[in-house]
Amino acid sequence: MPLVLLLLPPLVASLLAIAVRRDTRLVGWSSVVLNGISLIASTWLCTGVLWQEATIIARNDFWRVDALSALLTLCITGVTLLASMFGPGLDSTDHYDAAQIRRFRIFVNAFALTMLIAVTTNNVGLMWVMIEATTITSALVIPLHRTKASVEASWKYLLICSVGIALAFAGTVLAYFDFVSTAGQLPNALNWTVLRDAAPSLHRELMQLAFAFILVGYGTKAGLAPMHTWLPDAHSEAPAPMSAMMSGVLLGVAMYAVARWKVVVDAALASSSFTSNLLLAAGVLSVLIGASSLVIQRHYKRMLAYSSVEHIGLVSVGLGLGPLGTFAALLHLVNHAVAKAMAFLLAGRILHRYETTEIAGVSGLLRVMPWTGSLFAVGVLALIGLPPFGLFVSEFLLVRAAIATGHVWVAAVALLLVLVAFVSLLNHLNRMLYGPVPQGVAVGERAGWRVIVLAGCAAVSLVLGIVLPWPLTMLIDRTVSIVTP
Amino acid sequence: MGEYVSVFVQTLLAVALAPALTGFICWLKARLQGRWGAPAWQPYFELRKLFAKELVVSQTASWLFQVAPFVAFGTSVVVASLVPLVFVPMASDRTGDLFAAVYLLLLGTFFLALAGLDTGSPFGGMGSSREMTVVALTEPTVALSVFALALTAGSTNFGEIALRTLAQPESVLGPAHVFGFTALFIVTLAETGRLPIDNPSTHLELTMIHEAMVLEYSGPYLALIEWASSLKLFIFLALAANLFVPWGIARTLAPLALLGGLAALVLKLLILAVAVAVLETRVAKLRLFRVPELLSASFVLALLAVMSTFFVR
Amino acid sequence: MDGVFAQLIVLGASGMLLTGLIVLWRRGVPAYITAYRWQSWLLSGLTAAVGYLGHEPQLYWIAALLFLLKGIALPLLMSATERRFGTHRELRPYVNTEVSLLIGGVLVLFAYVLTRPWMAVTELPTRGGLPIAMALLFISLFIIVSRKKAITQVIGFLMLENAVALLAVVGTYGVPLLVELGVFLDALMGFLVMQIFIYDIHETFETIDVEQLARLKH
Repeated sequence: MPLVLLLLPPLVASLLAIAVRRDTRLVGWSSVVLNGISLIASTWLCTGVLWQEATIIARNDFWRVDALSALLTLCITGVTLLASMFGPGLDSTDHYDAAQIRRFRIFVNAFALTMLIAVTTNNVGLMWVMIEATTITSALVIPLHRTKASVEASWKYLLICSVGIALAFAGTVLAYFDFVSTAGQLPNALNWTVLRDAAPSLHRELMQLAFAFILVGYGTKAGLAPMHTWLPDAHSEAPAPMSAMMSGVLLGVAMYAVARWKVVVDAALASSSFTSNLLLAAGVLSVLIGASSLVIQRHYKRMLAYSSVEHIGLVSVGLGLGPLGTFAALLHLVNHAVAKAMAFLLAGRILHRYETTEIAGVSGLLRVMPWTGSLFAVGVLALIGLPPFGLFVSEFLLVRAAIATGHVWVAAVALLLVLVAFVSLLNHLNRMLYGPVPQGVAVGERAGWRVIVLAGCAAVSLVLGIVLPWPLTMLIDRTVSIVTP
Repeated sequence: MGEYVSVFVQTLLAVALAPALTGFICWLKARLQGRWGAPAWQPYFELRKLFAKELVVSQTASWLFQVAPFVAFGTSVVVASLVPLVFVPMASDRTGDLFAAVYLLLLGTFFLALAGLDTGSPFGGMGSSREMTVVALTEPTVALSVFALALTAGSTNFGEIALRTLAQPESVLGPAHVFGFTALFIVTLAETGRLPIDNPSTHLELTMIHEAMVLEYSGPYLALIEWASSLKLFIFLALAANLFVPWGIARTLAPLALLGGLAALVLKLLILAVAVAVLETRVAKLRLFRVPELLSASFVLALLAVMSTFFVR
Repeated sequence: MDGVFAQLIVLGASGMLLTGLIVLWRRGVPAYITAYRWQSWLLSGLTAAVGYLGHEPQLYWIAALLFLLKGIALPLLMSATERRFGTHRELRPYVNTEVSLLIGGVLVLFAYVLTRPWMAVTELPTRGGLPIAMALLFISLFIIVSRKKAITQVIGFLMLENAVALLAVVGTYGVPLLVELGVFLDALMGFLVMQIFIYDIHETFETIDVEQLARLKH
């Protein structure tokens, strides 16, 4: 039942947007309401997973929601709700036409649906199909304003991610091939639970190669270096709500896929050192490239995008550091989703007012848009990893995990790079917040409901940093026991 | 003893029939182009005419110029005795193998290229350099395409290879055979100066490769060189036919088997000659800088053929 | 019987690999589309053969879908796009033809070395096709990386998909039907979206030479 309530609303919202051609505010608000229902359903699922101490299985093992899935559905539905609230068409000052608004609504809801199915299905084949579908649905939204830059960005995104996903499919086929050679053709052979249980009898080299393909493939979707080249372009050219969804949760869903396969491969290899080493290497490289690219940034949306590369690198490092690191990585995923979504939505508001994407073109933000400016400052401070925000806690736990498992060098390098990012982001933020107001920019801002929503996000990030509510801790604990049994 | 005689007779047969093969291809091309065409034994008349003509040698030419036609013809004749034409060689230690054949043919080409340079004529030098470009790309392919078969047979001896294919008929479907044959066919066209690499009937010096090399030759020397090149075509086509499609080849020295082998050889050569003629009529000559592309493609084909022998183990 | 089956599969798979090499060799886009068409025909033929000789009737459906979608529909769409937007001038790729072909040969060698241990893992008679599928995968990746026209990159991607489909057919006699259908749907949608983008690129940039798409740097 909660599963149906989770998956049906985005589908209905998308169909509604297809059916109703005139741009009515009604369609937009109904989309918001439907996504709200989805969010409630996912919290229901989370509590279900917590209280019942068992995973929710439906329709003979095809759908399976365990703690990891529930955590991700929470993130996905939360950010989707935000995106639909800030989507075009709900504000009369938007400069999108009716066709663009309709396209946005159709594909954003379809995008959310594909992500939700990807994390709640037990079948790794279907998971792959859905992740491929996310590429397609999101690629159609990026060039909402058809400019040379956005067309180039979406072409790069489509091509690179499709190639990556095809490689991930090759990895899936290889693992299936290994399974079929040892256990024969079973009807539900592509179920994750079946693969995990049969894993100890699979062949070493084959599973190592399969994981390599999967890491490269799904890592492309996640924005791990060196396959991240599409990320800054796509995330900066997309409309702000879409960037929020992509940065906040799509990267997380891709890492979810990697984590699922990690469990299978670790069981096959009987030790997690191979996968952990690969994840550590990819993660450290991503943090390095993300942090160093932040130094010379000239556009604030690209700045946020490279920050995503850095953070997803940290998540990857965490997954490679055993149970302690996995806890930190998943907490980091949640924190990052909240903070990054908020930051991108605020960036959208800044773009709307200043009409330039360059950092040099934005100055005097605190005077022009006091609410947006201060919330943007809060967002960037959160992304830097400053206490008392949530990201500080997860980064701290990450470093502690690194030292506890003996990877002291990793901890040192990560800290150094986070410091580099800290300094660069703070520098860019300073230039944007203070300084003279540019010509032709209206000063002053009403504190509408949108500002209140975004302030709510900031409050959530604060709460996660100060208090770390125990249901969340329990949920993540459960998740860790799935990923590192 | 009987085998030596058979080899001798077989070589004589090859030398005698080679011009007829070339003549047949010319006649067929003419017919396909709507002309009447000279009969298939026209080359014999040409050879007789050339042998009767006066020999003219440039004053700036050295001993190389005089020696090259004999080397070219001699190596072709020797290779004709090594290759299984009518019958499969019996004793494996007295017959030649793959590398001997390939490098003897290369020796002939090498001497001709030097002779092209020898007279100091610009067209000769141009022809020699072009020929060397082509040969540099085709030599590895020739070796590789037969090597693919040699790997399955476990020996580079031609006899063994043919026997192995006869013993396992379904291997003809395998990629090693198909790709190896295609690669060998392409390099045959390249080595013997056929379209699309080189036009054997061109009169324009700038489009020549083989003809430019031998532009300075006349009389008996030219006759020997023409004979050597038709013998080369004969050998390559017979090699391709008998290694890749060995049915019909005589396995004993009984007269009936030998006659059957001869008939099979003539049939296979006719089929291949038809293929060459049709291909020459259909394709245009490639521009020179495109020739390495075609030859690289055939090299990769031969490489694939070798790889394929490992795939179906 | 087993021997002939194995030989046929290896021959068909090698034919597919050959069509991939043709893209490295030839220079005009119509030749690439023809190569892709032959490759898809070979793939559907192989799938049907494995279905017949391996006693898997559901592969017939997949073979039919493959033939209709990848063998007929996609090449037609691509030819239409090429007629509208083709420059008719052959662009030089990043890596020239001879070197491309040699790199292709090296990639085949690498794929063979990589897949040698797998041949021992399975008993299927089609296992000879495994190295060829991996080789086609690497060559498709190389095509995507080394070619300049947008439509050639799309063809490289489509060949990559064919390579993985071949891997599934020879390694495991196909993946479960549901996943196969999902893969088809994704392939179709992905291709349609790519076509939309080629149209968009042409409208905005007036060329489909992806070297022009170099505005976004750092």
